[in-house]
Amino acid sequence: MIPKAQDARAIPAAIGIGMRTLHFDEIIATRPAIGWLEVHAENYLGGGPAPLRLDTIRQEYPLSLHGVGLSLGSAEGLADDHLRRLRTLIARTEPFLVSEHLSWSITGDAYLNDLLPLPYTEESLDIVVANVAKAQAALGRRLLVENPASYLRYRHSTIPEPDFLGELVRRSGCGLLCDVNNIFVTCGNLDLNAEAYLEALPAAAVGEIHIAGHSRVMRGSQSLVIDDHGSPVAPPVWDLYCRALKRFGLVPSLVEWDNNLPPLTQLLDEAWKAERAAPATVDCDACAA
Amino acid sequence: MLALHEVQTEFRRAILTVDTDTFCALIAADGLAPEERLGVYRNNIVASLTAVLRETFPPVCRLVEEQFFAYAAHEFICRHPPECAVLAEYGGRFPDFLAASAPCRELVYLADVARLEGLMKVAANAAHADPIAAMTLGDVAAEDAQRLTLQLHPSFGFVASRWPIDRIWRANRPEAAAEATIDLAAGGVWLEVSRADANIVMRSLDCTTFAFRSAVQRGETLERATEAALVTDPAFDLCRALPALFLDGAVIAVNSAQPHAGREPRQ
Repeated sequence: MIPKAQDARAIPAAIGIGMRTLHFDEIIATRPAIGWLEVHAENYLGGGPAPLRLDTIRQEYPLSLHGVGLSLGSAEGLADDHLRRLRTLIARTEPFLVSEHLSWSITGDAYLNDLLPLPYTEESLDIVVANVAKAQAALGRRLLVENPASYLRYRHSTIPEPDFLGELVRRSGCGLLCDVNNIFVTCGNLDLNAEAYLEALPAAAVGEIHIAGHSRVMRGSQSLVIDDHGSPVAPPVWDLYCRALKRFGLVPSLVEWDNNLPPLTQLLDEAWKAERAAPATVDCDACAA
Repeated sequence: MLALHEVQTEFRRAILTVDTDTFCALIAADGLAPEERLGVYRNNIVASLTAVLRETFPPVCRLVEEQFFAYAAHEFICRHPPECAVLAEYGGRFPDFLAASAPCRELVYLADVARLEGLMKVAANAAHADPIAAMTLGDVAAEDAQRLTLQLHPSFGFVASRWPIDRIWRANRPEAAAEATIDLAAGGVWLEVSRADANIVMRSLDCTTFAFRSAVQRGETLERATEAALVTDPAFDLCRALPALFLDGAVIAVNSAQPHAGREPRQ
């Protein structure tokens, strides 16, 4: 039972951008016409001036908290202190969305700061379901769980990733954050079909979409697609985004750009490109229904 | 088939050590060596944590060769990975790691400069807390005041060094003018770091004030902090030192220490 469901579809669909510290002053000074802002929760769990910046932002824009450190896939469970700090931040900022990842990063008191992949097994599913349920109870919120960008596949995985996400939704009551760039990256690296992946997700659970840039590196004769959020959104990801909008409706969408950070105007151009893509690809009457 | 906990333990081992065989055997090749796939994660982790250390310790970066800093950071990350996901709090052990590192022993002041930078980072990220005024002590009897402990603002930190690390730090900030000459024989320093609004403040203290304030910060009673100060200055006066601490906005709470044995706690 979810303590307090947050229905993302009740939020006016609009395009948001990831708010990075370098853009903070310009955003406050110019107040660009953007629907909402998203920040990485872990950057605001300490003290100092960062939470104060968030208070300022929160007065001007709806806010989404995107976690990268809860480690929903940890076999040893969730860190109570992290949950407590996240709950405090949620109370302070009243975000309209709170999201995390289908991944793990904590084992044996070490935080390995990346979104590490899980083997998709029944055991993993039980663990992630329990962890998501605990997080939702502790935070008093429905979480959106994001599909990860993956570079490897475990031999002993038995459940396709979108099916794993679907079962997680069914058993925990969480929603999904569909990162279409991550789908492109994962499918490119693991030789999967991105369109089929998208079709296999439970559409009604998707409450947010992420789009971002990626790069390619060569390893011998093979290339790997790297989810580096350091460039404009690539054409095939735009295509996948339009497919996602058709399937999921006008849910809030976010342009992520974390590395090689461009001028704010360029990031806003990407966001407005996404804004223009939406009406062209979606039957809005159907979305409103 | 390994249980998830074992998979994650092996993943950690493969990231932080050269022992990758067990984990790589779990990975489907799919046309690319498992080690290459694992390497994407290892590179992400090491590169981002090295960046955190560079941002935290910029003068240390300038004091050593680029290649050495990358090596030291890699060794430190593998031995002391973060313990929580708030990376602004990572690197607290780096100064002690440098102090124990053989290549750093020639740069005798390096670890102390790192300790100073570490305190600055702690100050920058410390939680907000309102200082209290000295009049809070007004209703405390003098004999009881000796047994009080004071909670200092979490941005306060103290570091002493045999070397002029304040000048070394200033001369090696990224924006500093180049090539200042610093006399290492100039003597030691006793430094206090704190935050005023959003600004980090570094103050040079005399050794007695340092002894008193750092003892207070460690949670010693005023009686014991006074004893620590009297070691270097028999004329130390608590009645002057205490108001100064409050006036600096350093105190956020006054706590009663455990009463001496055989005495009833004050009602």
